[in-house]
Amino acid sequence: MIVTHNELITVTNKAFLGMRRVCGEADLIANMVADLQMVGLHGVKHFNNATQFISLERDEPVDIKVTDGHLIADLHGSSVACHLPVIIDYALEQMIANKHLKLSLKNCHNRWLAYSELLMLAGKGIACKAQWDNGSSPKHTLYILNRGCVLPELFLAETLQREANGLNDMTIELSINDFDIANLSSGYSKHIDAKNLSGIQDTAWNKGVFVEDHEWDLLKNTATAILVENSEQSIRGAGE
Amino acid sequence: MEAHRLTNNDVNMRRPEVVMAPQRLGAMHSNRISFVRTLIRKMAQQKWQVTKDLWQLSAQGFGHVIYKLKTPHHIYHLVVFCNEIEDDERNDRVIAEKWDVTFALVYGEVSEQLLAQLQANVPLQEAGRNPTNVLVLARANKSVRVFEHIVSHLAEGKQPTSDELVDVGYILRTTAVYGNGKFGIADFKILENNPDFKQSFSAQMCAVYLLREFSLDWIDYLAKQKGGEKASPLSNDLKRYLGVGNATGLGMAPYLINHPCVVDQWMSNREAALTLVLDCPADLAKHQALLFLLNKAVCHLQQVNTQNQNQEQLNHCSVNELQRFNGQLKDLISVSNTWRDLLNGTEHLSLETQEILISCLMEIYPELVDNFQDQVNTHESLNLAKGKKVNDLLLLLNEKYRWAIETDFSKPENNYWFWYRSQDKEEPRLGVRGEEIGEERELPLDIGRQVYRLYYALLACPAEMSLAEFLLQKPQYRTIARRVWTLGNKVMGDIQMNVLHKQSLPMHLLRCKLSFFGATKFDPRSDRWVRVSFFQGAPLLNEIHDGEWLFPVLPQQAVLEKSTEVAIERSSIGESGIDKSAIDDLTTVDKESSK
Repeated sequence: MIVTHNELITVTNKAFLGMRRVCGEADLIANMVADLQMVGLHGVKHFNNATQFISLERDEPVDIKVTDGHLIADLHGSSVACHLPVIIDYALEQMIANKHLKLSLKNCHNRWLAYSELLMLAGKGIACKAQWDNGSSPKHTLYILNRGCVLPELFLAETLQREANGLNDMTIELSINDFDIANLSSGYSKHIDAKNLSGIQDTAWNKGVFVEDHEWDLLKNTATAILVENSEQSIRGAGE
Repeated sequence: MEAHRLTNNDVNMRRPEVVMAPQRLGAMHSNRISFVRTLIRKMAQQKWQVTKDLWQLSAQGFGHVIYKLKTPHHIYHLVVFCNEIEDDERNDRVIAEKWDVTFALVYGEVSEQLLAQLQANVPLQEAGRNPTNVLVLARANKSVRVFEHIVSHLAEGKQPTSDELVDVGYILRTTAVYGNGKFGIADFKILENNPDFKQSFSAQMCAVYLLREFSLDWIDYLAKQKGGEKASPLSNDLKRYLGVGNATGLGMAPYLINHPCVVDQWMSNREAALTLVLDCPADLAKHQALLFLLNKAVCHLQQVNTQNQNQEQLNHCSVNELQRFNGQLKDLISVSNTWRDLLNGTEHLSLETQEILISCLMEIYPELVDNFQDQVNTHESLNLAKGKKVNDLLLLLNEKYRWAIETDFSKPENNYWFWYRSQDKEEPRLGVRGEEIGEERELPLDIGRQVYRLYYALLACPAEMSLAEFLLQKPQYRTIARRVWTLGNKVMGDIQMNVLHKQSLPMHLLRCKLSFFGATKFDPRSDRWVRVSFFQGAPLLNEIHDGEWLFPVLPQQAVLEKSTEVAIERSSIGESGIDKSAIDDLTTVDKESSK
């Protein structure tokens, strides 16, 4: 299915609103999904994965501890999409005193969906490094967005890195200095560079965004939760 | 995010509580930087060329037509499909599935393959899928009465009667004009660097303007088919008077609530332009020009036929007020130092009258106002600033959102409505809380109530607590906090309207947006949908000029009769868009009314 950016945003927004959650912001989550999908990184699929579990999640604030440039947030098994913006707000306050901050997100899922928030930070001059281990392929993901970058350098590996991370954790590092990409990326089996992602993004804007048919159908179906069935009153509600 | 820095011009602006009040938004009129006006100026200044590229219509007028648009930068095509539909299939609501005319504005050339693709999809509208070289997708229905009246008269070699035209004012009425990535068409982002259509909604306005040309060509064609040699073309005076109708319903209202930065930009931009005008000395040399426009407004309102009693009364009231005002205009200018003094002196008059005066004042200062025509785009992100305390947000709310925090949302009348989307093509709807189904799926358009809840949640926290800490504990307020911080630091900010209130009128929101587009002749058909006209009085394609066409009026009868005699011989090239005889006529109206 070829869709447009606006369709992605609109349908995801409706889908999330239909979940009636306390935590999570529909407009930001729509951007998270669209930004990923526009560069071919399966935003819709990640969101669809999230929707399977969101209704089972604890819909409550995260717990945060900060010690010496290290912020630890327990998401209680929730989606990163629903909590990352408030965590980032809080982290940026801590960065007033630190040039570098490490965020350890514990007990979370949908870690790909952090991408959009980190893009925004890079645009504001804060370099970002995100990595996590995963139970299935790829076993480890790393992406780096240095200051001012609009797209990341992405590295994938088929071995777990286990840097004090569980399979449901994620580490994000924020810095006012750029990360050394060459040094950090050694040992990864696959590199998707920003130029490659940029090409996919250009095609998506100009020719439309590819989404797997069943993923699109699933998303659209989720988005119907916000609709109210037709009635005599709803017909009159248009202002006869 | 940086707070907006006040400029001298900002300081002199009218206050947001005045400008963003719903009743005032609901009284707005188009002005010279309304989008249709800006478009026509651009087309004239850059000498855009439009040609009929393909005319494949049956004798009954069904088939397809292509117009080619050439700008200094690019080529586009308007592809129009005319379909035969039954009278009972003609429905202006979004739920309709067939239309008299469907059309698409396409970037670049139209190959046979693309034409086939458009033919298979454009007539389906929402049910079709279109490629990204389609910039605008839209549809329109005939005003059957006017259509048949005009064609039958022209076929007989006669011009139509003005009474029939004044009632409606258009041949075709659009019922949806889609842009920005709807149903597969190009996202607006693609146009970001396109010098022709980088201003939001400009591609849609252009498509509608070209449709107007098609509607005029269509009736001439059908009259010729019907009357043969006897047929006469519609006079240019009447062609100029006919615009494109539009029916707009509740669906437009959420746009204004969901795009607050856009609304702020439009309103702030208009206010910035207006402020420059209001700061000018009230100059008697401008008296005649201003009087002409105000008289034209009177005539325009007198020619608006509406079944809506409230609008009828508002128009009637404005006519009376303007007639008195116009009679005193010279004296009022004499005693005013600036135009601001003149405008301030109208505070006792209706909002409709005040807004008409504003549009007319802006019209007579093109050298000041037109500089603002290209400043309608803006970034839409809603952000919080780093390092803010609970108290910072409270101060902002107390300064900029009193309309919300002083509303008692524990009272039922302040929560009367809820907004939802129905399954019928996902149309937005208003339901009565506690009476209608769907409340649990309410749309978050309740900005006033959200602000109120945020305010009291903030009050319960220590003033020195960081905002980030507050939102960490209460993440449910982050969306509204982002909004109020962003909008509270803008010039005009949010629309100051509790859309849940029992007396709240969505019509105010529709009127505001339609005025920015450049709609005229507001004819509310209920408090939830309205019929308007676009491009009524606008120059025709073959005479396009950047002159004024504010408050369109019907050409006087004498002109019509003369037009009938000479219509056939008359060259359609090089006519002036300014109807001088109408100016004389308006002067006469003024003299008579002041007797």
